[in-house]
Amino acid sequence: MDRISKAKSVLWIILGIAGAVGITRFIFGLGVTTNLTDNTPWGFWIGFDVMGGVALAAGGFVIAAINYIFGNERMHPISRAAILTAFLGYIAVAVGLLFDLGLPWNIWHMMVFWNPHSPLFEVGWCVMLYLSILFLEFAPVILEKWPERKLLAKIHAMLEKVKIPIVIVGIMLSTLHQSSLGSLFLAMPFKLHPIWYTPILPVIFFVSAICLGLTMVMVEGLATSYLYKKEEHPYVLNTLRKSAIVMLLIYAALRFGDIFYRGADKLLFTGTASILFWLEISFTLIIPLIIFSTKGINKKVSWMFVGAFSGVFGIVMNRLNVGGIAHVNNIAESATFYLPSFTEITISAGVVSGAVLIFFYFIENFNVWEEKPVDGTLEVKSIPKFSSNKVYLGSTKVTNRIKFSFFFVIAFGVTFASISGSTIENKGIEEVKVTKARGGDTLIIDGNRDGFAVTFKHEFHKSKNIECGSCHHMNKPGDKSTGCYECHSGMYSEGDGFKHDWHSSSAGAGQSCFKCHDQNVSKGKGFIKSIKKAKDLCLECHEDMFVKNSNIDKYETFKTASYADAMHGLCVNCHEETLKTDSTLKRLKPNLANCSNCHKDDYELKVKQMRGKKLMNKSVILP
Amino acid sequence: MKAILTDVTKCIGCAACVTACKETNNLDKGKPREWQKSDGLSSDNWTSVLRKNDTYIRKQCRHCLEPACESVCPVGALHRTESGAVVYDEDKCLGCRYCMMACPYGIPRYEWDSPVPYIRKCIMCHDNIAAGIIDQPACTNICPTQATIYGNRDDLIKEAKRRIKSDPKYLDHIYGETEVGGTNVIYITSKDEKLDFLTYYTNRLGDPEKKYGYPDITQSIPETTKIAMKSVPPAFLGMGAIMTGAYWIVQRRMKIEKANKDANKVNNDKNNEVGNG
Ligand code: SF4
Ligand code: SF4
Ligand code: SF4
Repeated sequence: MDRISKAKSVLWIILGIAGAVGITRFIFGLGVTTNLTDNTPWGFWIGFDVMGGVALAAGGFVIAAINYIFGNERMHPISRAAILTAFLGYIAVAVGLLFDLGLPWNIWHMMVFWNPHSPLFEVGWCVMLYLSILFLEFAPVILEKWPERKLLAKIHAMLEKVKIPIVIVGIMLSTLHQSSLGSLFLAMPFKLHPIWYTPILPVIFFVSAICLGLTMVMVEGLATSYLYKKEEHPYVLNTLRKSAIVMLLIYAALRFGDIFYRGADKLLFTGTASILFWLEISFTLIIPLIIFSTKGINKKVSWMFVGAFSGVFGIVMNRLNVGGIAHVNNIAESATFYLPSFTEITISAGVVSGAVLIFFYFIENFNVWEEKPVDGTLEVKSIPKFSSNKVYLGSTKVTNRIKFSFFFVIAFGVTFASISGSTIENKGIEEVKVTKARGGDTLIIDGNRDGFAVTFKHEFHKSKNIECGSCHHMNKPGDKSTGCYECHSGMYSEGDGFKHDWHSSSAGAGQSCFKCHDQNVSKGKGFIKSIKKAKDLCLECHEDMFVKNSNIDKYETFKTASYADAMHGLCVNCHEETLKTDSTLKRLKPNLANCSNCHKDDYELKVKQMRGKKLMNKSVILP
Repeated sequence: MKAILTDVTKCIGCAACVTACKETNNLDKGKPREWQKSDGLSSDNWTSVLRKNDTYIRKQCRHCLEPACESVCPVGALHRTESGAVVYDEDKCLGCRYCMMACPYGIPRYEWDSPVPYIRKCIMCHDNIAAGIIDQPACTNICPTQATIYGNRDDLIKEAKRRIKSDPKYLDHIYGETEVGGTNVIYITSKDEKLDFLTYYTNRLGDPEKKYGYPDITQSIPETTKIAMKSVPPAFLGMGAIMTGAYWIVQRRMKIEKANKDANKVNNDKNNEVGNG
């Protein structure tokens, strides 16, 4: 395989993978397929596809200006390719945007519902108009292919006549939206990091777009010459290099002048943001400027490619930084620090691959360059011989077609097959099971921590209409404005008896206090009654509170840590009632808080009994 | 203009407002997903109660007097009503999420898990109030301690000032009175718990205002893009003028050059002819 068809095979494979991944984006929505969050709603698709893409396509207007306005005819060899790149670039932007928008089928709303205050509205309109302009600029290349068709020839002639006005309008529109992409972020003074946030952001965006346009045209020229084994134009390359140096220096002066003027230079060496900044600056300015201006290597094609590519990378990185990565909220919340997901990168790569393939198509079939590349392999050199171990698929052209579609289909199929819908759908959901109430049927409570315990039967107490909430949660009665936590400072730490925090937090069960507590009653004396509501409420979720045939077969220590005391207080409260009616107890006046003082035997007896009856697997033992 | 005053010192953190809001606005129970911020707001939670030491702070849309979300939405899906509530029209939205990026308080949330996602945020119960179903937002209505109350903005600011004067425990600042051009949801708090979550700026960078070229904290967000948006027509026309001018000059020069060349050529030819002759 020669270079170009190798490149094409890779692009077709990427396109196949992206196609399969792209489908998941529309089936499952943005949340599970991207790393976008409520904290960073804009990510790679906006930063790279849209902002990077628009800037990458800036080559179109820059070269058009040099060529047509400033009359540098010698740049002509690349002007068509630059305009084609811009045209395809903007289409890629639009396609990328369709993936990013939540409701892409509503994109036409921008034409109907107007909000001229919005920078995005302006960008949208400019891009739409400019896309049409680019189409007009490029149309002659397509039309001239059929000079014998009268109508087409007429249109061609007309377009040639209005060429200069079209180019000028194109430049005007480009100026606007290249800079307005920067204005988008003026609305985020509290989010965009101060190294990047500046009132002259639109100007910076415009200048860097020109830099990017120049370096991108270099990259594209060098890459296609390499792939099609074509000679570079040394004059063109040199002009681009020189203009790039000038523009990069202007950009550097603007960037650093602005940073120092605002006093943001104090932040240049602190924190994550500064690392991002210096990476960006090295790629954008340091590497290309060194390579472009060092004698000796600045004539070498490979070095030029490195320099130009580094410049492209740096400015795209700038767009990504401004677009979301260098936002204060993103940097501060390290837990959700945004980096693009596999899906996002794949789809962007797919969009770019598609654009590049179309670019190749035009290069091979239209006069984008002065002459079409001659691909030696496309010619049938000799009549193919049939051999037993080689299948003849047709001429090289046909073979290539078959090969590429094969690659596409296989890549698509394999990717599609390996995507698991349920995994994607459940991404980011913690399994929140309703925890089993761990009390079991019978609890053995060592209230006064003397090694002897009394048994406590859940079932029995339930039958006496005593509510779960009586023991498992309390509040300070008769108090309206004190936060529950003021007494129950342990409420938000995890207690074994009842995880209050989990029940109330929105990341857990998400219940309000008054799901269980009656807010009216909690004002007055009826407080204890108020949590009677809780009985049914607990059981709503904890259906298996009263373990019927559970298989707890281990002895475990379930100590009721933070609520132990509260619960013992409650035992006393209830048993006091019995005390009043039971004549023996009335006489003995026992210390109810120390149940096991008297009920020592209880422990031995009950536990033995339960063991004997093999009931212990239904109970929880507290040693 | 209607507003909500939340007195942080009175909130007991019962989250009744959260549940009431969910009920009134038919919000889903929701599951904790990884794209949610730690502040409890999500497309299913339009208000949340944050705990900070021993204080609870309710978070919701501030209903700015000059909302950033309204000014940046390219299709005008968000707009401020006469009552002061900032509401959302999902039929217009195209899901660009610019509003989420631009809101200084980070309020609008997205239905990330849906293939047809919409923006969600507190709308001050505007629909229900306008329809006469309720006469005040569900959250203020249910609050057991009147920590959050509803009323005319002027009255509430007066009330807030009265409270600050009457009790030394209060911090002498009404959050939302002037921030980002003023908001309809205002807060007062005690001296021990200054609120910093109100803006990312003071919160995250911890630097005094007006440094590094940041705009004033009281400047409204629409103001920040105004200059850039205003210079759009002049920039557009200016660029056109420059390009046309440049083209004209360059062409003229080329013509002159060409004429010179032609003249030279003619001369040369003549000379040659003369020479030949
Ligand atoms: S707080 Fe944010 S979402 Fe609410 S009105 Fe202001 S800008 Fe809009
Ligand atoms: S996401 Fe919708 S509401 Fe928000 S700015 Fe974009 S179009 Fe407007
Ligand atoms: S005002 Fe209405 S929508 Fe907003 S938080 Fe309160 S209940 Fe929810």
